[in-house]
Amino acid sequence: MIRFENVTKVYEQNARPALDSVSLEINRGEFTFLVGASGSGKSTFLRLILKEDKASSGSVYVAGQNVANISSWRVPKLRRGIGVVFQDFRLLPQKNVFANVAFAMQVIGKSRSIIRETVPEVLKTVGLEGKERRMPHELSGGEQQRVAIARAVVNRPGILLADEPTGNLDPITSMGIMGVLDKINQNGTTVVMATHDDDIVNEMRRRVVELKNGKVIRDEAKALYTSMIPVVGESRRLRDASGEELNRAQGAQL
Amino acid sequence: MRLLFILGEIGSGLRRNLSMVISVVLVTFVSLTFVGAAGMLQMQINQMKGYWYDKVQVAVFLCNDGSTAVGCASGPATKEQQENLQAMLESPAVKQYINDFQFESQAEAYTHFKEQFSNSPIVDSVSEDQLPASFRINMKNPEKYQIISETFSSQPGVETVSDQRQVLERIFSWMNGASVAAMGVAVVMIFCAVLLITTTIRLSAFSRRRETGIMRLVGASKTVIQLPFILEGVIAAVVGAVLASVTLWLMAHFWLNGELSTQFLNTPFISSAQVLVIAPVLIALGAGLAGISSLLTLRRYLKV
Ligand SMILES: Nc1ncnc2c1ncn2[C@@H]1O[C@H](COP(=O)(O)OP(=O)(O)O)[C@@H](O)[C@H]1O
Ligand SMILES: [Mg+2]
Repeated sequence: MIRFENVTKVYEQNARPALDSVSLEINRGEFTFLVGASGSGKSTFLRLILKEDKASSGSVYVAGQNVANISSWRVPKLRRGIGVVFQDFRLLPQKNVFANVAFAMQVIGKSRSIIRETVPEVLKTVGLEGKERRMPHELSGGEQQRVAIARAVVNRPGILLADEPTGNLDPITSMGIMGVLDKINQNGTTVVMATHDDDIVNEMRRRVVELKNGKVIRDEAKALYTSMIPVVGESRRLRDASGEELNRAQGAQL
Repeated sequence: MRLLFILGEIGSGLRRNLSMVISVVLVTFVSLTFVGAAGMLQMQINQMKGYWYDKVQVAVFLCNDGSTAVGCASGPATKEQQENLQAMLESPAVKQYINDFQFESQAEAYTHFKEQFSNSPIVDSVSEDQLPASFRINMKNPEKYQIISETFSSQPGVETVSDQRQVLERIFSWMNGASVAAMGVAVVMIFCAVLLITTTIRLSAFSRRRETGIMRLVGASKTVIQLPFILEGVIAAVVGAVLASVTLWLMAHFWLNGELSTQFLNTPFISSAQVLVIAPVLIALGAGLAGISSLLTLRRYLKV
């Protein structure tokens, strides 16, 4: 679903690369944590998937397509297939919950009847039933993030990118959000989540890709926030026994 | 749905930036009024040229009772002097330059004068013998006026030779100057309008960066993101252009065709209908300028 081949991103000449020849594949339906200290390149990784930035070298493939070959007028189509949530929610303060979610459908020209049908469904999925008419400032942080998630997935994207979605939330609320993301992942959406919240990662036990200074230093299935295996040299990948190879083969055909 | 959405965005954008939008309307209104006024002056010049150029003549005025010119020392022109002048006009030396000529007697001059100033009290204070008789000459080539003037002005019984065309040329060059000045003001004002539109769109894009950021992320097309901003500028400019057109039309209708046409009876003024030709030009100009300047601004300040 997402493939990085030797991707390097340099923002400023002379500075160290934000990403340094990263090669990685994320399969359809996978849930992947992207961990690492601030400045390790997590957000950059996500931005390259969205074609918000261009890789300095190497190739980024999304759903089998090299994003470098997507012309600017087709970039919106790429982004319709990807939902994004951020640490700061980014809701529209003057619109209520329903309108915030509906906005994502309006701007891509969905009909009123489809919007009326879909938005309540999605709000139910994220656990916000009955809060359609609330304004963002009347919601808790966790509820606001749920609205943001609803908005990100309302157009049924195949990929959901989350950049430190629990960064502003307390541990219990964060676990609630993780439940929502897990549910979305169960429905078949590929989820990539950047975080440095170790409790969450340890609780979820999913694939962990660790970045340090723009390099992948660990790539482990069903892993913890900190590696149980001593890091030897460069990146290292442990495969679980549940047919990861098979998934990969299917992913390559997409 | 998308259309409704875009219209809604435009509406909220216009409301949010109301004072800026009003200034854009006013500046485009003033600048386009000047553009239109320059255009109207040019139309007026052409109209007058078309009307007058085949009518204007070189006039050889004969001495009358009140003449003070040197050639009139012996009093009003005699019948003999008049016949002498007519013979000269018919002689081959002069004839080669002129198409034809008529003699306008004092009585005829008085009749024309009365027609021209029919609703002015000046008519009552002028009597027939105060007006000069004249030969009205139609030139083959109006540029050759100098030859006629030299030939006739020193003849006995001639008070003066006047080229009406020269008088008109002076009026036209004055009007032309006014039209160039109006255009100059218009250029400066248009420059202000463009800067103001640019600033307005920039502010508008800045105040709605949250919305546009989300639109971009959920995959809204460039058109859906940019069109509300562009139309915001275009609508403001078009309103300004419409106001300018209405103002010019009112000017043509009530001032040119109302007041001025009763004062200058035999001057052909452009009609208010002719001003309607200018209106689409002004609207297109306003919309075009606003559209282009918004587009260029957005390219720099609104990431898509
Ligand atoms: N727009 C930018 N311009 C210049 N440097 C940037 C930009 N964005 C990120 N960087 C640099 O790239 C590196 C990686 O940043 P980022 O991907 O945001 O890391 P993370 O999300 O893991 O904290 C950092 O050193 C950061 O300073
Ligand atoms: Mg980051």
